[in-house]
Amino acid sequence: MRRHLVTTLAGAAALALLTACGGSSPEPAADGPQTIKIALWNYATTPEFKAIIDGFQAANPEIKVEPVDILADDYAEKVTTMLAGGDTTDVLTMKNVIDYSRFGTRGQLLPLTDEAAKLDPAKYSGLKAYDLEGKYFALPYRQDFWVLYYNKTMLKEAGVPESKLQNLTWADYAALAKSLTKGDGANKQYGAYQHTWRSIVQATSAAQTGGNLLGGDYNFMKDQYAMTLGLQQSGVLLPWATASSQKVSYNTMFSTSKAALLPMGTWYAATLLADTKSGKTKVEWGVAPLPQLKADGKVTTFGSPTAFAVNKKSKHSEAAKKFVEWASSEAGATAVAKAGVTPSLQSQQILDTYFALPGVPNGDVAKKAFKPDNVVLEMPVSDKSSDVDQILTEQHELIMTGQKSLDDGLAEMSKRVKNEVG
Amino acid sequence: MSAPAQAPATRRRSRSRTWIGWSFILPNFLGFAALTLIPVIASLALSFLDWDSYSTPRWVGLDNFERMIHNDNFWTALRNTAYYAVGHVPLTLAAALGFAVLLNQKLKGVRFFRTALFFPYITSLVAVAVVWNMLLSPDLGPVNQFLRAIGIDNPPGWTTSTTWAMPAVIVASVWRDLGYYMILYLAGLQTIPAELYEAAEVDGATGWQRFRYITLPGLRPTTFFVLIMLTISSFKVFDLIQVMTEGGPGRATLVLSQVIYREGIVQGRFGYSSAVSMVLFVIVLTITIVQFRLQKRNET
Repeated sequence: MRRHLVTTLAGAAALALLTACGGSSPEPAADGPQTIKIALWNYATTPEFKAIIDGFQAANPEIKVEPVDILADDYAEKVTTMLAGGDTTDVLTMKNVIDYSRFGTRGQLLPLTDEAAKLDPAKYSGLKAYDLEGKYFALPYRQDFWVLYYNKTMLKEAGVPESKLQNLTWADYAALAKSLTKGDGANKQYGAYQHTWRSIVQATSAAQTGGNLLGGDYNFMKDQYAMTLGLQQSGVLLPWATASSQKVSYNTMFSTSKAALLPMGTWYAATLLADTKSGKTKVEWGVAPLPQLKADGKVTTFGSPTAFAVNKKSKHSEAAKKFVEWASSEAGATAVAKAGVTPSLQSQQILDTYFALPGVPNGDVAKKAFKPDNVVLEMPVSDKSSDVDQILTEQHELIMTGQKSLDDGLAEMSKRVKNEVG
Repeated sequence: MSAPAQAPATRRRSRSRTWIGWSFILPNFLGFAALTLIPVIASLALSFLDWDSYSTPRWVGLDNFERMIHNDNFWTALRNTAYYAVGHVPLTLAAALGFAVLLNQKLKGVRFFRTALFFPYITSLVAVAVVWNMLLSPDLGPVNQFLRAIGIDNPPGWTTSTTWAMPAVIVASVWRDLGYYMILYLAGLQTIPAELYEAAEVDGATGWQRFRYITLPGLRPTTFFVLIMLTISSFKVFDLIQVMTEGGPGRATLVLSQVIYREGIVQGRFGYSSAVSMVLFVIVLTITIVQFRLQKRNET
């Protein structure tokens, strides 16, 4: 009797384990009102997701959209794991282009080449980034690019007219930042704050000099680094080492008026709009074009698009495609712009919608900032991108902390990329 | 056993005992098998494959290991891991032993200090790392402000210096781990008979002699256990470094488990990542076996 009990228990335990590991039960056929699931991040603090979903559901009442909220920092790893496990979440947000190319080349996404062919590449900023050897697996709905945020009050105190920021070179930027630096100790006001990311130096110089971030020869970054290191040395910038070890947030530096100028992506405007509205910050802010190498009136900046893709394992692929197309359409772009975010589709009408939002900086400087002539992809897409990215980040740390001289740091960067990745 | 009639009954009883024994460890074993044993075996197999977690795995033989031998990141990480272990193991051991002996006395408030020293071990690691980063911040950190106040003009840059980042990480990890090993030592100290100390005192042994010839030998089994656990945990170090320095500046604190994480979870090269983890496994296993051998020799 006792032995019997033991075998039964063991059997039950094994069975429980098996069923726990077993796959999900088949879903009902796609009839009547459908529900599609969409993988996204930080739903509560990323307003454009709700704007797109609400807009889409209003236009397509027969389809219900259910967000699958994932922590932003874990998003790429989580989606990779989900897909490896055969997950059927219908729509996947492509947080960055490098991850997109990984999912696309592995064949985890449904081809959207025909849908992409309907879009005008001249109007869709960032669309080309999704070209994987002639095939498209995602459509962009959002495009962020870098601009220069400035503190209006601090500029006024220094007697600098805002119009001066319309055609800034990096040399002007450095001089202006120097003149805006004042105070000491806890009351110090920095002329500018450059966050710890490598892109702020590296992607800027790649975009504006035409240098190739995957090329293995990085001398084109020299001037931009020399300027940044110079500003850091003269106390105009918060030292990189401090910013990194204290995990300083750029939002704190700018919104508490600790720094007058801030080169940053357009996504920050959405944060500033929301914080101004809720009274979290009282900073008077404006947006200017990213400073340039030459003052020829043309604006070249860098940025990266965000897109929606359809999971190949989706059981509602038609509805999912509809959603992806709607998000990048004019209607979708309007919804995105109304949420305070820059959509991929850039027409005068969409820009007007954006500028009509309460709190968005208006005027010629801002209008020029939001209409750059050229947006270069932040990191070129290739199977080497993430390896090169790691090396560039490590060398950036060494140069910015002064552990390597600028020349040695750049030489080592080139050498490592050639030896380890090439 | 001699009577043939009894044999089947005995055998039956012993078989049923075996079953009961198995059934007791079964729940634990199932968990161990599903979450540890099978993945470990799978990772051994994976280290000979090329697999991105999605497409069909491809047999590549020893390619992953060959790539590892020629990979600069791997050797840097291996050196750094050894550096970390060489710093972390003896320092933690000495600190844990020192505090255990100190707090084994009948003093007022001894419980408070024991708790205080154990506290870092149960504190959230991310919070620990962030606080240490702030303490060690080159310009504004209290550590460097103190160093400047006592006349050191050029204090180290700690986590932002390639030379000082690893010592900084080691100090933080010693502080974090010593409480746990101190508890183990405190337990070990209770097992040493008090008569030995009394006899030694009668014979006129000094405090140091008592420590050297009674306490240390008496603690040998504990020390052995602590040494093994410390070695394994030092080679496996990941979380503290990931939060404090992310392997930087440059690659100054890049350790093997970070290479495994980056290659596998981030880059999706599970074959190569498994190959590195196999090497880590073999290193830890070898060191543990050597320690066991030495311990055996000491005992005989």
